[in-house]
Amino acid sequence: MLTELIMDGLLAAIAGIGFGAISHPPKRAFLYIGILAAIGHSIRYFLMHALQVDLAAASFCASIAIGCFTLWFGRITYCPMTVLYIPALLPMVPGMYAYKTVFGLMMFMQHLNDETMAPKYLQETFSNAVVTVSTVFLLALGATLLIFLFPKRAYSMTRK
Amino acid sequence: MKSAEEIKDFTRFIAEYATSLLGSGVHTSRVMRNSGRIASSMGLQVHMTTFQKSIIMTVADADGTHVHTEVLEIPGMPISFEYNSELSSLSWEAFDKHLSMEELRKKFEEIKVLPKMTTWLLILLVGFANASFCRLFGGDLGAVLIVFLATMLGFFLRLQMQKRGVNHFIVFTMAAFVTSLTASSALLFDATAEIAVATSVLYLIPGVPLINGVIDILEGHTLIGVSRLIQAFLLVLCIAAGLSLSIFLFQNSLL
Repeated sequence: MLTELIMDGLLAAIAGIGFGAISHPPKRAFLYIGILAAIGHSIRYFLMHALQVDLAAASFCASIAIGCFTLWFGRITYCPMTVLYIPALLPMVPGMYAYKTVFGLMMFMQHLNDETMAPKYLQETFSNAVVTVSTVFLLALGATLLIFLFPKRAYSMTRK
Repeated sequence: MKSAEEIKDFTRFIAEYATSLLGSGVHTSRVMRNSGRIASSMGLQVHMTTFQKSIIMTVADADGTHVHTEVLEIPGMPISFEYNSELSSLSWEAFDKHLSMEELRKKFEEIKVLPKMTTWLLILLVGFANASFCRLFGGDLGAVLIVFLATMLGFFLRLQMQKRGVNHFIVFTMAAFVTSLTASSALLFDATAEIAVATSVLYLIPGVPLINGVIDILEGHTLIGVSRLIQAFLLVLCIAAGLSLSIFLFQNSLL
């Protein structure tokens, strides 16, 4: 379990840093983006595999944890919270569900006249879409909650 | 007491400052707070209305004798967290040290020319990121390798098209198509092709407008928040369109 968790965190850190680089963060932020991504993703992994929490709830908890650590790291790096937590959240996007939504939609269109397959693909598309949308929304909400809970601190991160 | 000319000069500066922030992907309330902070360091007030493409702002002195209004377009800039951080820091510096207009301008110009990461390093980092993402979803070594190459190719293409000013939606559709098509080559090898195709396009996800949209709506800037979400949603649709083209070509093998 422990090696799996560390491996999971390490991969998430690389993913977070790379996805973050697209948005041109300041150099000093890279290390912390990696740490945040690792913390978030391994917390989610732990919740899902050790405690059998579902994907959406586990993502929400992980996102809140990322938000908490961002309150601390933001003050060290003089970066606004969103600069640190947006890249750290990206590795948790439920990519397989998003893919299956698109795939299901395509298959539904091609089996429109097939009475057994069409409803099956439509149902698959819908349930995958629901998982994708709710997980992404909860991810965005979790870390952002911390801004609303600690506005004073969140708004003075860049004060030197 | 400021003269009308000084207020005009300050409004021009703060309008450019605010549009640079909005253009580089900062949520609305931060832009308003930062601008208000700089204004109050000069003993002025600033009020603004922001839209997706333009901004209307009025600067007034404390007793309201002199008022100046500007309407500005928000420039289409690449997202930059560095601008976000440095420009926010500048607002605090102005607030704490009462910087003069010349100092503010000078520091603003310095921030605007900060060096960016070299393109090749960026492409390499994005490649590694998406490859480890593929591994997180349980892709095998072959899939990871193919996603690494496919992502670098797709991201390079995206940067090239953006440099030439190609329409945003076409850029995303094409990039998603080329990436997923390249990733489909995993079908030729003994690799987890489905995972490779599914994760290959995820580097395109517009995370910044998505989260900024949610923050804006929750803070009551509903109009601009919804605009951001619609833009992000359209980009996601473009990614889906590019991806489905690849799926369409290889669907029987992917089933």
